[in-house]
Amino acid sequence: ASVSGFLSLLSFTILFLAWLAGFSSRLFAVIRFESIIHEFDPWFNYRSTHHLSTNGFYEFLNWFDERAWYPLGRIVGGTVYPGLMVTAGLIHYILNLLHVTVHIRDVCVFLAPVFSGLTAVSTFLLTRELWNQGAGLLAACFIAIVPGYISRSVAGSFDNEGIAIFALQFTYYLWVKSVKTGSVFWTIGCCLSYFYMVSAWGGYVFIINLIPLHVFVLLLMQRFSRRLYIAYSTFYIVGLVLSMQIPFVGFQPIRTSEHMAAAGVFALLQAYAFLQYLKDRLTRQEFQTLFFLGVSLAAGVVFLTLTKPSLPPLLRYAKIHIPIIASVSEHQPTTWVSFFFDLHILVCTFPAGLWFCIKNINDERVFVALYAISAVYFAGVMVRLMLTLTPVVCMLSAIAFSSVFEHYLGDDMKRENPIKQHPFYPVKNSSVYSKLIVTMLMLMLLMMFAVHCTWVTSNAYSSPSVVLASYNHDGSRNILDDFREAYYWLRQNTDEHARVMSWWDYGYQIAGMANRTTLVDNNTWNNSHIALVGKAMSSNESAAYEIMKSLDVDYVLIIFGGVIGYSGDDINKFLWMVRIAEGEHPKDIRESDYFTPQGEFRVDKAGSPTLLNCLMYKMSYYRFGEMQLDFRTPPGFDRTRNAEIGNKDIRLKHLEEAFTSEHWLVRIYRVKKQENRQALDHKLRNIAAKQKYTSKKVLPSRFH
Amino acid sequence: MAVFKGFPLNLLFASILLILLLCIQSGGGQKKKENMLAEKVEQMMEWSSRRSVIRMNGDKFRRFVKAPPRNYSVIVMFTALQPQRQCSVCRQANEEYQVLANSWRYSSAFSNKLFFTVVDYDEGADVFQQLNMNSAPTFMHFPAKGKPKRADTFDLQRIGFASEQLAKWIADRTDVQIRVFRPPNYSGTIALALLVSLVGGLLYLRRNNLEFIYNKTGWAMAALCVVFAMTSGQMWNHIRGPPYAHKNPQNGQVSYIHGSSQAQFVAESHIILLLNAAITMGMVLLNEAATSKGDVGKRRIICLVGLGLVVFFFSFLLSIFRSKYHGYPYSFLIK
Repeated sequence: ASVSGFLSLLSFTILFLAWLAGFSSRLFAVIRFESIIHEFDPWFNYRSTHHLSTNGFYEFLNWFDERAWYPLGRIVGGTVYPGLMVTAGLIHYILNLLHVTVHIRDVCVFLAPVFSGLTAVSTFLLTRELWNQGAGLLAACFIAIVPGYISRSVAGSFDNEGIAIFALQFTYYLWVKSVKTGSVFWTIGCCLSYFYMVSAWGGYVFIINLIPLHVFVLLLMQRFSRRLYIAYSTFYIVGLVLSMQIPFVGFQPIRTSEHMAAAGVFALLQAYAFLQYLKDRLTRQEFQTLFFLGVSLAAGVVFLTLTKPSLPPLLRYAKIHIPIIASVSEHQPTTWVSFFFDLHILVCTFPAGLWFCIKNINDERVFVALYAISAVYFAGVMVRLMLTLTPVVCMLSAIAFSSVFEHYLGDDMKRENPIKQHPFYPVKNSSVYSKLIVTMLMLMLLMMFAVHCTWVTSNAYSSPSVVLASYNHDGSRNILDDFREAYYWLRQNTDEHARVMSWWDYGYQIAGMANRTTLVDNNTWNNSHIALVGKAMSSNESAAYEIMKSLDVDYVLIIFGGVIGYSGDDINKFLWMVRIAEGEHPKDIRESDYFTPQGEFRVDKAGSPTLLNCLMYKMSYYRFGEMQLDFRTPPGFDRTRNAEIGNKDIRLKHLEEAFTSEHWLVRIYRVKKQENRQALDHKLRNIAAKQKYTSKKVLPSRFH
Repeated sequence: MAVFKGFPLNLLFASILLILLLCIQSGGGQKKKENMLAEKVEQMMEWSSRRSVIRMNGDKFRRFVKAPPRNYSVIVMFTALQPQRQCSVCRQANEEYQVLANSWRYSSAFSNKLFFTVVDYDEGADVFQQLNMNSAPTFMHFPAKGKPKRADTFDLQRIGFASEQLAKWIADRTDVQIRVFRPPNYSGTIALALLVSLVGGLLYLRRNNLEFIYNKTGWAMAALCVVFAMTSGQMWNHIRGPPYAHKNPQNGQVSYIHGSSQAQFVAESHIILLLNAAITMGMVLLNEAATSKGDVGKRRIICLVGLGLVVFFFSFLLSIFRSKYHGYPYSFLIK
């Protein structure tokens, strides 16, 4: 008893330490900068959480946001997965109930690191079900620090994925548990966890396809059991009803094709169970086997056609036809470098874990094998789906490492007996040494993994991208806080209902930080609206003015990196604006007009005149020609593109510069209102008198 | 007197005659031109009824495409399809072009306003010289009226040669809308059917001995193959189509590893696949060595081999990664 008590204390300590390590390695950004929401989407989540915590749940569900997508607006309650906001709001509410007064922002910032600990615990539980306690503990340690998961869950990255991975792992744990026990209790738990997942992230589709696939494969392997029947039947019905409670999901689970596999497998399972029932009564074995074969084949064909992996052709189609999808860098296939960068040693060792699982197969190991194969396929197709691969890689790697450690680390009890009988047997020493070497080297590899994870987290995944930092030669640091400077300028100096036009990337930040109305934002649901903004940016000033007038634009905000050499600025994104605009307005905007005859995109004198006179160019480089950055370069030298700009004499007619941040990173222009009378372009007509009119009147005589 | 009187009459007559003659002559010219045009159109129609893409040599090109009396637009692909030219892009472009031309040929909107032609370098080198063209493939549009402008040359470098893009360009230049209809690709279906029948046949032949289905090693191998293919970025290769390796044109050195972390060569992904497989095998061997019941020396050798595989190939992998990911500080055994 004391041994098992000691073991559980040890497991508890290890899990606690894994939680702590995971939590602390996600804090780089908070320590270096401050407790701040990162990037783009998190700003929207933060804004809606704020709305939820100030106005209450029902107000949030009915929220019509008139500050986004002007003049259309956005029904927020029906177009988000509310799980994240509700979770953060609930934690905030409970903390305040306990008189722990924290700001809602801090709850949002630290939510993902806290949930990473929960993910570690649920991964531990799942791996323990699949293999054993030791593998579970290793898996928990792996997932706590692996970069593939940290990339989406650092402090401040307040996004759906941060809590969804926990929900995913916990649902899978409960599913495996319910298949193992066949108890309705665990299945209902699984359904509730699935409900939480549906409310949190669109990736729930992965669950609703993987679990039916598991059931289907188990049927094919003739591993049908009462437990499986109870688990899946309950899960399908209750899970379906629960998932339809989320407004954004609605009736999709019974309409769309990606949910049909689950329904098909449900029907198949009922048929199979019915046949099994008949089999007990009837004796015509051959007929039944034939029937089984026919039914399962037909179902297999249906399953394959429905869930046929149609992602790559879909992506290719999307790339050709919808530039906005191609313009998002996350929708790209994955190179081996990204796999290695995000998973390091785990990516090379997890196939070994898969091997062990398949060699010692049982019901739940079928599940993990299917999980691994489907997740690795999706991760190969799209970089962002690396996130769903990471947990299973951690589990399988942990299985591989733990089975090696089990054999090489200690545990000499069983083999000590023969050695004791032959005290001078020479193998003893050398076998101990080889064991020692194996253990040392394996530990060293794991240590390198930990070091790699910390380095990647610190260097690649911990920049808030709202605040930039640059380092001098002596290592001291400059903080570039231009974004917030500009957004607060907007907040303080513009009318409360002013409408700000910018490229869609900055929509959420403007709404969140400046609290002003935007035309387009990161929820890119309306392509034609975005194309209109793109058209305004890529037309000349007077054509753009017409568009801006029709959209009631008051201010235009652009990002310009030419002064400090920031490469993610609007000129570098400009071709996407042109492409998206061309997609909707092919008669007015043509991508080829923005290239030189040699097909280059240049901003210097050789650049195409259309580019040099478009609104984006003018706003970016307005008065930049007067500025000499250092003595080696001419005035108007763009550091991002390493070129002297081609149009230094920029005059704006319908716009005026309203604000430029310290490092010119953000520039804001005011759109001038129309004057009462349109000023004429040409000179007023001057009627030359044909002859001087002189009065013929005779002056009154009294003047004489 | 009569002579004097008659002269202006004569003159009048003569001039009338002259005018009449001129009229007839010019009318004849008009008619001849129309005849020629009709003949040309008829000829073109006949050709295109036979083949959707009309092959042209230098003379034909000058007569039907360059010479002025035309009321039809011509799309010309200048290419080099002969095998000795070794132009693989030309072949791909040609396929897309055929798809487009067939879509036009068999569409309901087919008319004599637009023709698709091809000029091969080996049949009409003079045309290439005449147009001052030094790269193939090139797509050009010859409008019904006037000379081709800048935009009448298709921007292949930037847009690519997908037939949808070509159709868009043609619609832009000629106002003829072509809906691209790709012939469905049956090769995948046939391959699948063959595979299924092969597997089915095997199963049927060995129906008395179906043990091999329950062979876990086979299934495990298959699963590992999928995993290795994905983690070494074969899907990236499939979608992006990178070259197998890069040969430096200056010194003829072949590099198998791409210098940037954003891209990879096919050869590189194969190397990574082997490295990953070797490391996995090392882990499996380590486990084998501890669990198998062979004699001690053999087990120790297996154990050392496994350990060597894991450690050596992992450090090799790490060094490749380091050479690609600039600024990465860590390495192990191999720099």
